[in-house]
Amino acid sequence: MKNVFTKHKLMIGLVCLLIGFMVATLFNTNKQPDSRDTRDTWEIRTALQEEQKVQQNLYQEIAEAEKTLIEYQEQTEHQQIISLKESIQELREKAGLTEIVGKGMIITIEPIFLNEELQEYPSINAELLQLFINELNASGANEIAIGNQRIINISPIRDVNGKVYVNNSSIGNLPTDIHIITKDIEKFRDYIEVSEINDYFALENVTISIREQEKVVLPKYDGAINLQEVHVGDIPEVGES
Amino acid sequence: MLLPALFLLIGLLLGFMTNLSIPEEYSNYLSIAVLAALDTLFGGIRAQLDSKFDQQVFISGFFFNVSLAALLAFLGVQLGIDLYLAAIFAFGVRLFQNLAIIRRLLLDKYYLFKKTKKNNDISTKIN
Repeated sequence: MKNVFTKHKLMIGLVCLLIGFMVATLFNTNKQPDSRDTRDTWEIRTALQEEQKVQQNLYQEIAEAEKTLIEYQEQTEHQQIISLKESIQELREKAGLTEIVGKGMIITIEPIFLNEELQEYPSINAELLQLFINELNASGANEIAIGNQRIINISPIRDVNGKVYVNNSSIGNLPTDIHIITKDIEKFRDYIEVSEINDYFALENVTISIREQEKVVLPKYDGAINLQEVHVGDIPEVGES
Repeated sequence: MLLPALFLLIGLLLGFMTNLSIPEEYSNYLSIAVLAALDTLFGGIRAQLDSKFDQQVFISGFFFNVSLAALLAFLGVQLGIDLYLAAIFAFGVRLFQNLAIIRRLLLDKYYLFKKTKKNNDISTKIN
């Protein structure tokens, strides 16, 4: 027993101890825990509810699509053509390729002059207009047209040489009319009136005025929709989730 | 033979119990150092089995290899060359060589042990 702890063996043992320690440290370093889920029950429940809503919407869409499919299958050829044409018309309306008339409002973006001598003529920029369009969509606008340019899903709003272009044509100088069709005019109006966007407009020396109208006419989108880069997605196999 | 293993175990326990971890950017150096240490350890075992073990060589080899590997990795980071790969390659190859030699030496010893046992058995039977 006396001979066990000779200097010779102790040194080797020490080296082994060091190796063990290094390995353990390296192991600890590489095994840092991943970012933990720190949401509490309430947050998780809210997230779950949102997901469920999304799921419900998807189910609804599937049900509608299946209904259309069954309709197609049950009809005669002539009826099929008619319902196909109806579908096409419906889709064209959805895409904004038809003129649309409805109850809505006209929002006029107009300049305000605080000091006529020192102030240059106010203008808006594309970014602000984009923000405004987003705000309109968020407050429940169904269809929007800026000037005589219909806003569809792919409508670009750009700054070109200091002018704002919508659908590749200039909206000109202020004032500009924005035509909107919406289901709930009152709610929409309240939403816009208290919106932060008014402050942003005020920064540019611009104000908006809203007037309701029984009959608002929105022009159709007359450009070509470029579907070159649009491809049919992979259709999942039956049974795949 | 038992004592180093015991110390290795103590070292591992110590490391795990203190729950020490180093910053992510230095873990590269440590991994190289660990590889160098393992290489030295297996080299030492091999030398022991070859009966050529020299403590001075072992101790100095351990510290020198570890620090050189870390230095090489550091230099690599500074120069933008993945020099630590060189260290990994060199130590890795040597590690496997040493392991192979250790295996052979152990097998030789085992055969020798078996042979002598057999001989002993035969001789006892004759007697």
